[in-house]
Amino acid sequence: MSFLAPLFFVALAAVAVPIFVHLIQRERKDIVEFPSLMFIRRIPYQSVERRRIHNWPLLLMRIAAMALVIAAFSRPFFATEAATAAITSSGDREVIILLDRSASMAYGDHWTRAQDEARRVINGLGGQDRATLVLFDRGVEEAVRATTNRGELELAVRQAAVSAEATRYAPALREAQSLLSRSDRQRKEAYLISDFQKSGWERQEEIQLPQGAVLTPVSVSTGDTANLSVSSLAIQRATFSNEERATITVGLINRSGTAVTNQAVRLDMDGRQIGTRNVTIAPNASGSVAFDPVTVAEANLRGIIRAGSDAFARDNDFYFVLSPSRTVSVLLVHADGQPADAQFLTIGLGRSKTPPFKVDAVPASRFTAANLEGRSVVVLNDAALSTAGADLLTKFVGQGGGLFMVLGSRTPVSGAWPLMPGSLSAPVDRTGFRGGTFGSPDYSHPIFEQFKDPRAGSFANMRFFRYRRLAVAPDDRVLARFDDGAAAIVERRAGSGRVVAFTSTLDGDWNDFPRHAMFLPLLHETVKYLAQYGDLEEWHTVGRMLDISAPVASMVRQGQTSMLPGAGRSGVVVSPGGQQTTLGGEGAPAVELAEQGFYSVRLPGTGDRRPFTVAVNLDPAESDLTALPPTDISSAVGTASTTVAGQSFDRPAPTPVDLEKRQSLWWFLLVAGLSLLLVEAVLSNIQSKRLGLKT
Amino acid sequence: MEAHAVSGARFVDPKVLARIKDLELLARSVVDGFINGLHRAPYFGASIDFAEHRGYVPGDDIRRVDWRLYARTDKYFVKQYEADTNANFSVLLDTSKSMSFASGEVSKLDYAKFVAACLAYLSHRQRDRVGIVTFDKEVLSYVPSSAKHFNVLLHTLEQARAERPGRLLAMLTEIAEHFKRRSIVALISDLYENPEELLDALKPYSFRGNDLVVFHVLDPAEIDFPYRDSSRFQDLESGEEMPVVPDVFADQYRKMIRDHIDALRSKCSDSRIDYVLLNTSKPLDEALFSYLGNRERLMRVR
Repeated sequence: MSFLAPLFFVALAAVAVPIFVHLIQRERKDIVEFPSLMFIRRIPYQSVERRRIHNWPLLLMRIAAMALVIAAFSRPFFATEAATAAITSSGDREVIILLDRSASMAYGDHWTRAQDEARRVINGLGGQDRATLVLFDRGVEEAVRATTNRGELELAVRQAAVSAEATRYAPALREAQSLLSRSDRQRKEAYLISDFQKSGWERQEEIQLPQGAVLTPVSVSTGDTANLSVSSLAIQRATFSNEERATITVGLINRSGTAVTNQAVRLDMDGRQIGTRNVTIAPNASGSVAFDPVTVAEANLRGIIRAGSDAFARDNDFYFVLSPSRTVSVLLVHADGQPADAQFLTIGLGRSKTPPFKVDAVPASRFTAANLEGRSVVVLNDAALSTAGADLLTKFVGQGGGLFMVLGSRTPVSGAWPLMPGSLSAPVDRTGFRGGTFGSPDYSHPIFEQFKDPRAGSFANMRFFRYRRLAVAPDDRVLARFDDGAAAIVERRAGSGRVVAFTSTLDGDWNDFPRHAMFLPLLHETVKYLAQYGDLEEWHTVGRMLDISAPVASMVRQGQTSMLPGAGRSGVVVSPGGQQTTLGGEGAPAVELAEQGFYSVRLPGTGDRRPFTVAVNLDPAESDLTALPPTDISSAVGTASTTVAGQSFDRPAPTPVDLEKRQSLWWFLLVAGLSLLLVEAVLSNIQSKRLGLKT
Repeated sequence: MEAHAVSGARFVDPKVLARIKDLELLARSVVDGFINGLHRAPYFGASIDFAEHRGYVPGDDIRRVDWRLYARTDKYFVKQYEADTNANFSVLLDTSKSMSFASGEVSKLDYAKFVAACLAYLSHRQRDRVGIVTFDKEVLSYVPSSAKHFNVLLHTLEQARAERPGRLLAMLTEIAEHFKRRSIVALISDLYENPEELLDALKPYSFRGNDLVVFHVLDPAEIDFPYRDSSRFQDLESGEEMPVVPDVFADQYRKMIRDHIDALRSKCSDSRIDYVLLNTSKPLDEALFSYLGNRERLMRVR
């Protein structure tokens, strides 16, 4: 018999305690005064000595109980061949293989070696060992779940491929934690096969594998992390001879200990080589290179920057899409004979550069459907529309257009118009008390979002002397209020379009808002929001969700597709690998950008036009191949063993801990010891009562 | 020891008596209660009753001559009354340190004081002369018997402390020299001596015509030995210590103390000495009955 914690036998000295109690401590330390020892002196003391231990059964019981408890704590087990064989052949392992398939595993032969390591783990499984293959990158996929079928596991490993996603260890380890926690197997093991990319691990992750589980990190990192990658891309636009030209500047990072000298960096547009630049970058430093301007004649030009020829080929190509700048067309409807009232608006809208606003003005009485063609936003500046005009605007907004309503004294009290966010009342006059101010803008709304930073300006100094009282409907959203609680800016969604109502005027009469510094940015943000204008993103990062509704709506309004305005958005997204996903209608609402390259969004009725294209690149963090010590992860999640790649994962001989845990003799010893103590307590109580009665 | 059943007697618990600091009040309470509880009082008022005639001798007061008897017999006889037979009552109180032992609220010395005070009060009320000797290893106070010494006796009792070891046998021998006149002598002690040697020390009292009553005061713990835990026992007088395992000792000890009491009772009986065992947890009636028994016997022999 062996013991897992033999040091506990030191506690056997405690066996002396009951003996001590029986022999020595039976005499109390306090002295009893007695009138005379005349008679006691006559009783032979020798007989006392001999009979000190007068209750041998109790003494033996106490000693045995203590010895049993101590033996239990020393965790005994039988290390015989039979016991070892019983465990070895029991096949009760729960094995989780965590295989890193993130983009960085494409570096050199990392992925091949990782697959080999996974196969080695699979080959080491016993007959009844149960294994789960978990492929992970930023997310987790259980390729094979809890099987004893080695062939199935090997097939899954063979079929697994490197993804374009970034590395995140935490989800995979949580999955292992969850699987091992649910397992009823006695031995729980997890193998983490990865290049242990430093960027994938955050130390504050709180993951703890179950008690007794062993995490074995298997690193396939070779220590060579030399890599040149494109870290950024900047496009500077300029208009020359009515042609928009873009100058492309590329930022590069050299993550290696040696300098990159005369490295060729190439720019391809639509498959044609546009230019090449040579760049020299010092070790672990960054550099940039600018190409000659290219003409942006049409939308969705596909550009690729090719740089480097290192072992990590994936980040040597950087994808982007180039489209002409988009102009927002705004129709300004003013009251008849009052064009001067719209002076601030006209000037303000004309100041916008990104995007530029194309502004046309028309009196309310001459407002027709033709005025709305190609418009993104209509500004109704304190004007009363005819019923037909109001219907036209209602239809325009329902199809995705934007309406900015400036409510002044000429705006009729009309409760029936579906675009009016609430019911309008008579003007509120606050000229007698220095006017009102903006109370509480809703900084969570896109219009006010960029003013969230206190340094971005303040609305507090503006004075509002008159404004219309607007009783806001429950479904509408108040974006700003005056200091007396009255609604100042209100939004209503109507169909695919948006309506924003401002309850005061913008002519400088009812307030000083147009003369305030915040007027222009707030006006521009409001019109951009109404136009559903999104900055053109030249590229996206792998892992983002693509929602095509906004760009498609813009294309529809601009007539780039034959789809009817307001009709359901539908189309097919073709991934770089050729996989097609139907969007809209019965298809998915959005698609995840999981591959590196160009995604094409094919919409019906686009004719010969280029499809809407989205460029997708690797997460820049994946280009940093710096590895962290595998033990950092294993020690953070609890019990672990250290294993290097290439070692055999054959089923190991059971450790003493395994043997002891399997046999669990301590439990029986402890129960026996405690039972003895219980019996002893009962017996000694009975005896004490008897002695008491006798006395 | 058998209890004397006294109907109607209102004996007070020693623990209650211990709270009465005034020994006279204590004695009066106990004795009056005891006397009033008796159906008849043969011992009370005897001192004024006629006892006997005796022949006139020169020197007798002629007022006591029974002239009627002279008329019938023509001889001079003198009347003798009980009042003339006043006895001496002396208490020999052992105040050795062993008497300070108390397993409860009342120590053996306290109990002895109660007994002494009650007996003295009873005697004083019957116009006996009362005296007291307290001693440990030497005589601490000696109050000769006198009709006027009752208060002195009480004061002596109050002052008595059990603080030093005693020499009972030597002191009994020494004190015996002081008793020239026939007396009722009450020895109150825990009697931790060999019974035979003790009796040898008591015999001189009997030889001198004294009526000796031995009150053997013991604490219940000395009789029952109720100890359970093994401890070191210390002799109160000598300071000697001994390890004691009560489980082992108790039975032997109880047997020894029983034998000791039996031996004392037997030897006292043989020597015509009254022996009374007093348990400090019991009321005082034992002591009082014993005393009255002796007082009655003394009167009858007159």
